[in-house]
Amino acid sequence: MTDQDYTDQITQLQAQQALTVQALVAALAGRWQGEASVEAYLYAIDPGLQGQLSPNPPVVQSQ
Amino acid sequence: MTTSDAIVQLQQQQAYTVQTLRAMLEGQWTGAPPSAEALLLAINPTLAPLQTVDYLLISEQEELGPDWWEYYDPNEPMPRQTASWTCSACSLAWVERSIHVNGAADEWSAVEEIGSPENINPTYGLMNGSGVELQRVLLESYGVPSSQGWLNFDQAYAIYSTTAGCMSGGNWYHWVGVRGVDGYGNLWIANSAPSYQGIYDTLSRDDFNRLGPFSCVWLEH
Repeated sequence: MTDQDYTDQITQLQAQQALTVQALVAALAGRWQGEASVEAYLYAIDPGLQGQLSPNPPVVQSQ
Repeated sequence: MTTSDAIVQLQQQQAYTVQTLRAMLEGQWTGAPPSAEALLLAINPTLAPLQTVDYLLISEQEELGPDWWEYYDPNEPMPRQTASWTCSACSLAWVERSIHVNGAADEWSAVEEIGSPENINPTYGLMNGSGVELQRVLLESYGVPSSQGWLNFDQAYAIYSTTAGCMSGGNWYHWVGVRGVDGYGNLWIANSAPSYQGIYDTLSRDDFNRLGPFSCVWLEH
């Protein structure tokens, strides 16, 4: 494996890590579905999850 | 550890992290894999034991039903009954309106819900004097649980200090809604036949003892 391969993998992990943090922020804010939600970030991290998720999020107090 | 090994480990951790988020989104918070709890422990076993809580999930929310007590209006008006035998229906309809489970409820919609002529009719009024058919309507049609008992005045006063309901006196032969208590030691009632047997909007201890025994139905909340 070349240095460039390592660099590419680390770049991809960094991007996934950034999206994961955003997903955790969304969870903390109670945004489970819709724009900038946990569901949306999961699709961004792994597009293969499209159509595979069955959301059943917790009820936030304002609901 | 080589750079390659470190990258593989990070990729595995990232995969578990994504699975953890998925478990959270799908309501699998605790328990066996693939719960969020199990996946977090797979990422970092030193986190054990994790402190967890049970969340109320969207899928469970509707099972709880409405909390009628939040919407209860003890001042809901009680119209006069238009027939001699419909006091129990008036009482049931008042309960439905006061707790906002059926704002359109009236004497005749309640007669239909109770079931005429088998459970309520012009000859006998409410057939089962305990009020079990009123309880059935509240539970089956509106998801509102209730209890019933033949209570003395002190028991009734204590219970209706904290909830609403309806009741009937055996020597009164009359059903009324119960709004609560009036703060002066009397039961505060919703009476569809004011002045009958000298009773209007309240029922004193003496009235209760004179007109009983009382079958009391009270709503649970």
